[in-house]
Amino acid sequence: MRSSRVALFTILAVAWAALAIFPVLWMAAMTVKPEALMFARPPAWSFTPTLEHLHYVVAEGFAWSLVRSLMVAGLSTLLIVVIGTPAAYAFARFPIRRRDDLLLFVLATRLAPPVALVIPFYLIYARVGLLDTYVGLILAYLTFNLSFYVWVLWSFCRDLPPELEEAARADGYSRTRVLLHVVLPLLRPGIIATSVLCFIFAWNEFLYAFMLGGKAVETLPVAVPKLITSQGVKWGELSVVGIAALVPILAAVFVLQRHIVRGLTMGAVKG
Amino acid sequence: MHPLTPSKDPAPLTLPSPQGGEGGGESGYGWFPYALIAPAMLMLVVVALVPFLYTVYLSLHEIRHAQVGDWAGLANYRTLLANPRFWHSAGISLLFIAIAVPLEFGLGLGGALILNQGVRLRSIIIPVLFVPTMMAPVVVAILWKIMLAGSWGLLSYNVIERFGILTGTSVLASPSLALYALVLVDVWQWTPFMMLAFFAGLQSLPLTPYRAAAVDGASDLQAFRRLTLPLMAPLMAVIGLLRLIDAFKVFDTIFLLTGGGPGTATESTSLFVYKTVFDFWDLGPASATAVVIWIMFFAFANGFYQIARRKLGAF
Amino acid sequence: MSAKRRMWMSLLAIAMMAVVPGSAAAQGWSYKDAAKPYAGRSITILDEVTPLQENMRTLVPEFEKATGIKVDYQLLNHFEVISKGQADMLSGRGAYDAVMLHSPQMGLLLDAGVIRPIDDLLGNKALTNPGLDRADFIEPAADSLTKFRGKTYGFLNWNYNVVYWARGDLFGHAEEKTAFKKKYGYDLAPAKTLQQMRDIAEFFTRKKGEKLAGQTLDSDFYGIVMEGIKGGTTLWTVLNAFVKNFGGDIFDAEGKPTVNRPENVAAVKFWADLWKFSPPGQAEYSLIDVPTVMGNGIAAQTLAWSDFVLGIDQPGKSKLAGKFVYAGSPANAQGKKRSAETEPSGIVISKHSKQPEATYLFLQWMVDKSTQQILFDKSGGAGVPIRNSTWALPSVKQSKFAGLYVAMQESLKYGSAKPKAPKLFEVMDVLVGLVQEVGLGKKTADQAMKEGQEKVQAICAKCTL
Repeated sequence: MRSSRVALFTILAVAWAALAIFPVLWMAAMTVKPEALMFARPPAWSFTPTLEHLHYVVAEGFAWSLVRSLMVAGLSTLLIVVIGTPAAYAFARFPIRRRDDLLLFVLATRLAPPVALVIPFYLIYARVGLLDTYVGLILAYLTFNLSFYVWVLWSFCRDLPPELEEAARADGYSRTRVLLHVVLPLLRPGIIATSVLCFIFAWNEFLYAFMLGGKAVETLPVAVPKLITSQGVKWGELSVVGIAALVPILAAVFVLQRHIVRGLTMGAVKG
Repeated sequence: MHPLTPSKDPAPLTLPSPQGGEGGGESGYGWFPYALIAPAMLMLVVVALVPFLYTVYLSLHEIRHAQVGDWAGLANYRTLLANPRFWHSAGISLLFIAIAVPLEFGLGLGGALILNQGVRLRSIIIPVLFVPTMMAPVVVAILWKIMLAGSWGLLSYNVIERFGILTGTSVLASPSLALYALVLVDVWQWTPFMMLAFFAGLQSLPLTPYRAAAVDGASDLQAFRRLTLPLMAPLMAVIGLLRLIDAFKVFDTIFLLTGGGPGTATESTSLFVYKTVFDFWDLGPASATAVVIWIMFFAFANGFYQIARRKLGAF
Repeated sequence: MSAKRRMWMSLLAIAMMAVVPGSAAAQGWSYKDAAKPYAGRSITILDEVTPLQENMRTLVPEFEKATGIKVDYQLLNHFEVISKGQADMLSGRGAYDAVMLHSPQMGLLLDAGVIRPIDDLLGNKALTNPGLDRADFIEPAADSLTKFRGKTYGFLNWNYNVVYWARGDLFGHAEEKTAFKKKYGYDLAPAKTLQQMRDIAEFFTRKKGEKLAGQTLDSDFYGIVMEGIKGGTTLWTVLNAFVKNFGGDIFDAEGKPTVNRPENVAAVKFWADLWKFSPPGQAEYSLIDVPTVMGNGIAAQTLAWSDFVLGIDQPGKSKLAGKFVYAGSPANAQGKKRSAETEPSGIVISKHSKQPEATYLFLQWMVDKSTQQILFDKSGGAGVPIRNSTWALPSVKQSKFAGLYVAMQESLKYGSAKPKAPKLFEVMDVLVGLVQEVGLGKKTADQAMKEGQEKVQAICAKCTL
């Protein structure tokens, strides 16, 4: 009886997944579809693939945009993990004065719509020379990613059983060592999970990258509108870039998924 | 074994008792906690607070052509609040989140429950299900344009026109339907996120209460209502709040799919601000809008936080 | 002179033209000499991406070689060129020495005083190519765009125009011709007037299952497709291809709003009427979608930007390639004035540029006769000319787009730059929404224009500079 239930749910899950993924598969097909058949009515299911879209994308230097995206998202996430993890832990464990207010402040930093903040950011950055720099963009990403990371990791820290830490303290370990040697290993899955999400947000971000970036710092999402020319949309090339943006993340999630799920469940001590 | 039985043991929520250590001080913790939060707080002040304060500054002045002019006091705010287009955009945003977020929440929870049953091939299904969330919103917008565009969109032609539903209209061009199309896109993209988060939450629920409930003869449904929901409440509250805020701010997809149209049928607050900033270069009212929205959100988040804390023990 | 000698002389002349741009009409002036004081400097140019500009980009190294000036020629798309270009100029950042501007942007930027006039540079004999021949630029485009209050602000760089575009294969079909003549009393041909365009639209709107040119339709067919999206260039097409042809306008001679003129109402009503013969998705069609739809073959006519034709009317791009016919934007049979929608855009020097002379040399070179010729030769005669002399170039005359060029020339005669109003984008935004509602049948033209007048007056009492 149980196995038939599992089978049913498996089928449901697979169907759901297929439905959700169909548009993406169609886009993947478009990466090699000849332009004349793109929007054929009725739709063209079989066709001879062409590499012209891929050629164009590579020739125009989009591969570099991918590298740049990796750098910005990667460095940004790293920074967030380094400064966000201690903060989340502290909020969860210690009676910090005005803790609620500080937490709300952290949340507040991502409350204003980026569309409105973008020009003030631009004006400030122009003044201090941070436009079109990696540092500038990475800092700008802190506004939404850091608060996300701290809030989510905070709720995981609260779920950590304190016994291990208490035991270590009783053994005479300093607070810093407790944090580094006892807490961090326990938190690692949670950190991986949350940081993957942060990476995804940074990787896909458009508005700030567009206005605050430039030639030196052109990330992949920003490269996308270049394919929407006034001569028409280069759908094939767009599809290539879209899928190219997806593949690294997909690979990372696939490989790390066990960690992610464990992390989000917060490995606690089995009692 | 109870089908909803997760695999962990309970984790107590009490704080550890203070002991002696670095810094001394009344609470016994000293400066240590503050040292831990200092880098993050500092960063946020510099990177988020400063531009925001600058925005407030801009909102209180007359701005012509990106050059700050005279002090304008609350004039920009008055203009903004008197502008029916602003209220309309706020309404659109609220309508959008009122439909999209509960759907994402419900579908996400349902999906998580299904996954939690021990579905086969989970290690393949989960990444695949997660694909929509992994895609850049810019790309998602293009994707759905391909699906839904008037006469040549894939779905428009094959599903909508073929089956005769909504003939004579095009989803993205229809003032009454366009917003729902956008909701569909948002639900498509973010349900997996909710699903994954809830799935993880379900996986981390403690076993003991469920064993006890089974012993007491409680049904699946009762266990769900009395145990699962309350235990999941904290996670659901955090995720729900984050999603509500993000859904209000959605920009990329709406911009690329309808541009706020037809008319102003899908002109959310973000689109309204975009127009004011990039089309009209009216930085005064645009900054005022940012501040007003921020205040709205802050009040909402604060209220949410207090209620969730008291009622759900969530924070 | 023997034939052989003549051949060598032509080859020599061509070689000279290719190697030293602009010196074909040399009277001792060359870019190399003019650039001597500025050699080694760097300039950054922002232009919008199109196949022509991509071709231009391949020519830039020639300029660099000839002058020693380093040029960072950046191409961004429409949305980016406007937002980043304006942000750069208005904020004083000045990362771009020259920026491409669309004519609706001129009002705002002139009002902000961030465009550098070039009269002093034009008058500088050392810097200006005597063969520049500014009279050769297509008018009224060039002057309406670049001249303001007696000063000149930049060069005409793009010369987009809307042409009438129709299915030649349908027009040539004997059965259709007979049926049309019977119904309307005149011969079926590309529309010369708006009224004819309407008749043809009505005639060719057919449902699935009916016959079209001897074939049974497997889906609905429409008589006309136009832009209907709230944004893009929808409003401009309505204004310049319809409203002005009816004798109306949104501003009067002093620049005050006159949105609710009876002529405007009549024109908008006429335009909205055409929606009966248009695809249901028209309200989301932008200037990009319209040519795609035409290329997909579900409409008989359109008013579309001619540069798209260059991309669509090619084998491999559309199955209907070669079947289209073109004409200038139609006139009003009862109208006195004639107007067409064109979008002259220019390239200007930013006030914050630290290298105005070097930038000026580059801009001059871009719009130079020889560079323009090379550009068109390179693209096989495909492009949108900014100079009258371009029409006569062999590569253009012999290109397969000859019919299109005739249409372009006609439209260009009757189009000019947008009004120089600082709040033009806001005005446009309000009006396009209203006009779209009329098209969708949610408001009458009367209501919309009345509301438009109120709203525009609230934006600016006197709109133009």
